[in-house]
Amino acid sequence: MYNLNLYDYTKLFSGYSELRAQENRVVSIVFVKGNNTVNSRSATSGISARVYKNGSWGFASNPEISEAAAKAVIQAATENAVFLDSKELKGKGPLPKSPVKSENDFSTKKPRLGQRELVEFIRQLDDHIARKYPDLASRTVSLSCLDMEKTLITSDGSYSHSLVPRTTVGIALSFIKDGEPVEFARPYGGLGHFEDLFTSPEDLFNEIEEQYHHLMKKSEGVFADAGLKTCVLAAELAGILAHEAIGHTTEADMVISGSVAQGKIGRQVASPLVTLVDFAHSYNGQVCPVPVYVDDEGTEAKDAVLIEDGILKGYMHNKESARYFSVEPTGNARAYQFSDEPLIRMRNTAILPGTDKLEDMIASIDDGYYLIQPSDGQADVTSEFMFGITLGYEIKNGKIGKAIKDTTISGVAFDMLQTVTMASPDMKWHNSGMCGKKQGIPVGMGGPAIKCKINIGGR
Amino acid sequence: MANLRQVAKHGLNALLKAGADKAQCVATFVDKHEMNVELGEFSLLRTTFDTNIRLTAIKANRRGSTNINKSDEESIDKAAGEVLAIATASAPDEAFDIAETQPPAEFSSGSDSPDLDKMYSSMKQLIHQVRDRYPKLVLMQVIVDFTRSRSCFVNSNDVDFVTNKGVYNCSFLFSSKDEDKVSSFNYTGFSLRELEKHLLECGSLDILLRQSVEQIVTRPLEGKFVGDVIITPDCMGDILFFITRALSDGPMISGTSIYKGKLGLQIASPMFTLHSRPVSDEICDGYFVTSDGYAAENSTIIESGVLKTYLLSLYGSRKTGFDRAVNTGGAFVVDPGDTQLDDMIKSVEKGILLARFSGGYPSDNGDFSGVAKNSYLIENGEIKYPISESMVAGNFAEMLKNIKAISRERIDYGFSILPWVQVSGITVSGK
Repeated sequence: MYNLNLYDYTKLFSGYSELRAQENRVVSIVFVKGNNTVNSRSATSGISARVYKNGSWGFASNPEISEAAAKAVIQAATENAVFLDSKELKGKGPLPKSPVKSENDFSTKKPRLGQRELVEFIRQLDDHIARKYPDLASRTVSLSCLDMEKTLITSDGSYSHSLVPRTTVGIALSFIKDGEPVEFARPYGGLGHFEDLFTSPEDLFNEIEEQYHHLMKKSEGVFADAGLKTCVLAAELAGILAHEAIGHTTEADMVISGSVAQGKIGRQVASPLVTLVDFAHSYNGQVCPVPVYVDDEGTEAKDAVLIEDGILKGYMHNKESARYFSVEPTGNARAYQFSDEPLIRMRNTAILPGTDKLEDMIASIDDGYYLIQPSDGQADVTSEFMFGITLGYEIKNGKIGKAIKDTTISGVAFDMLQTVTMASPDMKWHNSGMCGKKQGIPVGMGGPAIKCKINIGGR
Repeated sequence: MANLRQVAKHGLNALLKAGADKAQCVATFVDKHEMNVELGEFSLLRTTFDTNIRLTAIKANRRGSTNINKSDEESIDKAAGEVLAIATASAPDEAFDIAETQPPAEFSSGSDSPDLDKMYSSMKQLIHQVRDRYPKLVLMQVIVDFTRSRSCFVNSNDVDFVTNKGVYNCSFLFSSKDEDKVSSFNYTGFSLRELEKHLLECGSLDILLRQSVEQIVTRPLEGKFVGDVIITPDCMGDILFFITRALSDGPMISGTSIYKGKLGLQIASPMFTLHSRPVSDEICDGYFVTSDGYAAENSTIIESGVLKTYLLSLYGSRKTGFDRAVNTGGAFVVDPGDTQLDDMIKSVEKGILLARFSGGYPSDNGDFSGVAKNSYLIENGEIKYPISESMVAGNFAEMLKNIKAISRERIDYGFSILPWVQVSGITVSGK
């Protein structure tokens, strides 16, 4: 990617400093109803420095990765920190030190495919859908690949190099019912290069068949009955619940801002069935969707246990918030582009599995909903969260009923999590999530199916 | 290679040399100076320089493109070769094309460089004003940046446009706290050519900060009703996003847009007129050149409720047979109505003032549902109290037809100018 020894520039550091070289490589291919509307590649790389002085930060970045650029960004970031410090005079002390060295490369060992092969793969998927499901009004088939490669050194002795790829095939199917479009989209893929995740378009045919059948049922769907309902959230949904409902309120910067998690460490905030962890890189011996071994401040990434058996245990930290709370940093400082500064971000946030069977959970509900596929979501410092639902079914007398139209569910997390009465033993990861907080960033979200009470939007 | 036009021309020539039948190159240099306040204190001063070179080639009706952020000849030459390989891999389509010849032009707006002292003093002043006026308010994050962009768009039909733009972008994230009670966060933002006014006097900032303090104590709504909703200017973005998306390439090409075939027809109340004015003096954060390489023009998208144009690109136009839009949307201006906001509130028997919508993406048919954040219950013509745990549901397309009033007052965000809009028939549900 780049041939620059960052260690050569540590002598230019004054005070706590970070120097990061990074390249993000993106492949985008889109077919809309057979038309190859997007066919592109991009590479964005550069070098950045961040410097800390008495509680004020300076940051600078440059798209060149060269000796001159490295010197320039260190100088500019230092000047920026000095400028702010001279104005603000916060007089805050040093940040915690925890030097670590790490090398992690998740790139494929197989020969890389070219754009032609990738376009052909997507075209074959599109062609299959067009031939097999002629009653569809439209379909969009896309491929999105992101490689994030970073090298970081810090003045307190940390070094990290990582290459983390993510590959997502997106399939959206549209059907016209009574003159109105009905759509159902799903992502497939996750951590890894395309070559390690997909071998043949046929591998996705069963999933597409299932997706099509859900769409047909959804086209006959009814509006949800608005209000507080007993629901089973499928495993695909529990992850976004973990992320939106609790995750954001336990990011330490949100806590310091006054989120409802402030001052609640040690208190029962959820049902004893709920244990919620932001995993750094692995769970149960398996690598998570967004593995982080060393964060972008050079801190070794550790699992952050947020809720254990319903009791709030901790927050997610960068160095500055860890000092504020007098705890160890957890390695949650992450930046998206070379030109972005690290912020406290989630990594792989998950509710841990329970022991109840999904069938029993559904059978236990007389009048409620089985909610399966999420779309976007949003959190709040009050812990009132929402996320969109693009696939769900009524539950009537313990049995799955009609599909419902797109809706949104919401709740106050610390109230809603008290209503969790069952959790399934399986655990699924949502592999394609992007979280927005000044910068977008890939996140992993996971969990089992859970039974709870939640507000559902409808008519 | 620091000369912008030289970089763009080199990219164009490299594509043609690599074998492109038609080619275009957009070179953009961006300098950003950004000050950040967290929890009412300055936290970060950030200076970033970036480059974007977008190369697009068409060969034998096949199209490929790439973005790099390096402007040296070697990187551009290498990328040009890759673009041709990407193009060769694509499916052929006769609709791929580039903009026709237009007279060369250079466009400019805003300042060349930031006034860092003014940025600092404006933000410092805001911090002091907030402490004095709203002591319970927490400025979670304030970001003011000055972004200077220089861009050159050239193509093999001799299109040659240069744009110079400088703008201050301001964004605010805040909540209010009183002991263990906290309000929902809220946010807003605006763009400015110059930092002449107090930040608190710009956009809707002061209104929203005052409301945030009121929202420390909320009450959940009980039950469900169908009533009027007054949509605040800050909350209009979701509707505009829905309209823009439905009129754009994807749904129009796939045939799933609910507005396909509705050109010249009434799709909204006669009270509703929506413009896109990227080159208007009243918009400081517009654009001068479309993504296809045409000089952008102002347009009226919906006039007195009648759909006047789709928002199709050159490609979308060729695929659908409808006219290409004269801009790429955004820079929205909604005409004011003839109702005072106070009178609008007085006219509501039961409904809500919807100040922030937190919901899932609307369906392609316009159905939406979500949480009414930072919002108020209105009963018998009076704002009663701030609400929580309340949801709204309806259909954007129907909502546009069911507009009851549009306010005389509007908020100028710099990137758009929007009024309050009163609509009927929205389902509001509480616990």
